[in-house]
Amino acid sequence: MAEVNRRDFLTGLGVSVGASLAALPGLPSVGVAHAQGTPKGNIPDHPYKIGHMTFFTGPAAVLGEPMFKGQQLAAEEINATGGLLGKRKIELLKADENAGTDANVKELRRLKLSEKIDFFCGITSSGNTPALGPVAEDLKCLTMFVDGCTDFLFDKAVPNPHYVFRTTNIQSADGITTALAIVQTWPKSKRIAHIHPDYSYGRNAFDHIKIVMKKMMPQAEVVSEGWPKLGTTDFSSHITKAISSKPDLVVSSVWGGDYVAMYKQALRYGMFQKAKFATTLALGVAPHALGKDHPEGVIAGVHSNYHFTYPGGDKWPLNKTFVEKYHARFNEYPNFQAEGAYTTTYMLKTAIEKANRLVGGWPDDDAIIAMLEGMMMAGPAGYVYIRPDNHQGYKDAMIGFSKNTDEYPFPILDPARIITIPIRSITAPPGWPKGEPTSTFTWIDKTWPTAKV
Amino acid sequence: MDIVVIHALNALLYASVLFLIAGGLSLIYGVMRIVNLAHGNLYAFGAYVSAWVVGLLVARAPEGASPSTVLLLLLLPAGAVAAAAFGALLEPTLLRPFYKRAEEYQLLVTFGLLMIIDDVIRWLWGPYPLSASVLFENFGSLGIGDAIYPTYNFLVIAVGALAAVFLWAFIYKTRFGVVLRATSQNMRMSSALGVNVNRVYVQAFTLGCLMAGLGGAIIVPSQSAVLGMGVDALILSFIVVVVGGLGSLEGALLGALIVGVVREAGIAWFPEIELAVLYLIAAAVLLIRPAGLFGRA
Repeated sequence: MAEVNRRDFLTGLGVSVGASLAALPGLPSVGVAHAQGTPKGNIPDHPYKIGHMTFFTGPAAVLGEPMFKGQQLAAEEINATGGLLGKRKIELLKADENAGTDANVKELRRLKLSEKIDFFCGITSSGNTPALGPVAEDLKCLTMFVDGCTDFLFDKAVPNPHYVFRTTNIQSADGITTALAIVQTWPKSKRIAHIHPDYSYGRNAFDHIKIVMKKMMPQAEVVSEGWPKLGTTDFSSHITKAISSKPDLVVSSVWGGDYVAMYKQALRYGMFQKAKFATTLALGVAPHALGKDHPEGVIAGVHSNYHFTYPGGDKWPLNKTFVEKYHARFNEYPNFQAEGAYTTTYMLKTAIEKANRLVGGWPDDDAIIAMLEGMMMAGPAGYVYIRPDNHQGYKDAMIGFSKNTDEYPFPILDPARIITIPIRSITAPPGWPKGEPTSTFTWIDKTWPTAKV
Repeated sequence: MDIVVIHALNALLYASVLFLIAGGLSLIYGVMRIVNLAHGNLYAFGAYVSAWVVGLLVARAPEGASPSTVLLLLLLPAGAVAAAAFGALLEPTLLRPFYKRAEEYQLLVTFGLLMIIDDVIRWLWGPYPLSASVLFENFGSLGIGDAIYPTYNFLVIAVGALAAVFLWAFIYKTRFGVVLRATSQNMRMSSALGVNVNRVYVQAFTLGCLMAGLGGAIIVPSQSAVLGMGVDALILSFIVVVVGGLGSLEGALLGALIVGVVREAGIAWFPEIELAVLYLIAAAVLLIRPAGLFGRA
């Protein structure tokens, strides 16, 4: 592969700072404000049952609770207008994902077979979607996972999905987005220390950061690895080890309560004075859980998905209204899971309405699926596109730099320095052969050029 | 060289908190023969209460100012007191009715309690991490050669060491300690000799919970309180008591030190097997000395 100039390659990918979105006419968007028209045919009036499974207990409840709240908000808005197609009120049934993968599979069966749910939604953990996806297909249960973002789901576990969809960006996008932000910001870094949670998310982030660096920063070497268990709050040893390897840059995909504990300890160990710092999920999980002591100017990831301050101001009214409504309802700011579940619910609503216009009456699942495939919707985070071949939601990845402002009592993404990357530039295209560890990994390995040092 | 000192301090820090948790678990088992599966959640409860109290003080402090470190330190043990009070309430009401039944019942009851406390914590304080980091911040950092180390961690290590000395003195040098040890060796005989066993039980259980709560209270400024921290602590304390011997305080101390040092070494040199290495030690001890290093076979 020919060598290229790093700057040119980044420009070619479309990695840009401060890009803005422009609305497309005629595109469905979230919210109930737009006119729906009268539904065709007879619509039954019994409730539309949605089984929502996410973490209500355990450390991951920090992600699960906002996910449920996002769907709850959308359901309340839709129900206030009479329900789906003006008739069918949404009824949410909660299930706790913390019960464990086997129990979750049983619970999905129970929800479909005895509770007779019409739609299954939720899921936070990458460990659960590959187990639940095939079961949902067997049960012929219309399903939209909000997260559980592992590439493995549509690479291997459900390679030809019919009933199963997923909305938020795939996992590999996290590592690649963070890595490209590093390439753009600190391209000369040589010694890289890694601290990642020891499960699929952390492993996936590590793999994809490494492959991007191999291509774009061939001079970089991994000088230290730390693999804390998910749920760890003592990072003394991992921080000490990272510092002792004298890195230029520490990269981490630690998130949630773990991340809060880690950055506070890293402050007292002086890690941020000794190295630059980049993360994949620092500001994504619970934006308000971070304090103003959080270092500014670090690359602060949001799972490549959404931070409630972007697109900010009046630039993208869908986001402004969503944040206001969410804050008014729950007295907190939405995270990417809340946005994901909210948008998912409106994608479902839109698909049902479109299918109704075509076939009349209450559309069957196949008609709804046909409308979901290839759907593009404007949500609070921007456009989401459901690729018809793999049922995966794609939206442009974003990441930024932490900054304290007077407006919020916690750090946000610096509005002047948001990095956006077109999602097509960082995910394997349709038809790319399935690969190890992910299709996107082999796609980068085989097709990206190597940068000149 | 500085790094070696810091690794050693990290190991001691970890061991101190583990000793507080596992020591309480071991003490309760030693006296009452109950494996309290909810013990980790009493540690979590202590952490949450302390973080909550510190949070209240910070919220009441005038804009921009932080409450005095001395006041915060005095109120930090609130979590330990709350966990102890909780324990004093639990033993007579929930555990006592099951002493005459088979051990499985106690396991079921304490396991149920584990889940209930988990839910109560989430109900009271919500799903987001609760931080009490103002103390950790106020203490700042201390230079060790080229490196710096959080000063607050020294306090945690000191509390762990003091707790070990204090417990040793309490159990081997006081009258209450004699009664405790006698009850532990033969509950029926002590009862026949006029020891009020019910009272000893509730005292031992309360003391065990106090230790767990203290562990949570002392560590929460540097680590914040998160859901699920109790179960993690429980699993680690099981490793400690398997290594040291269930029911032995010396065992809990040695076990905690071994786990602290091995974990630190594991992270520094074998990051890939950080988790496995602790279980490997427990397995090795079980093979060679099934009752643990200080266990009574």
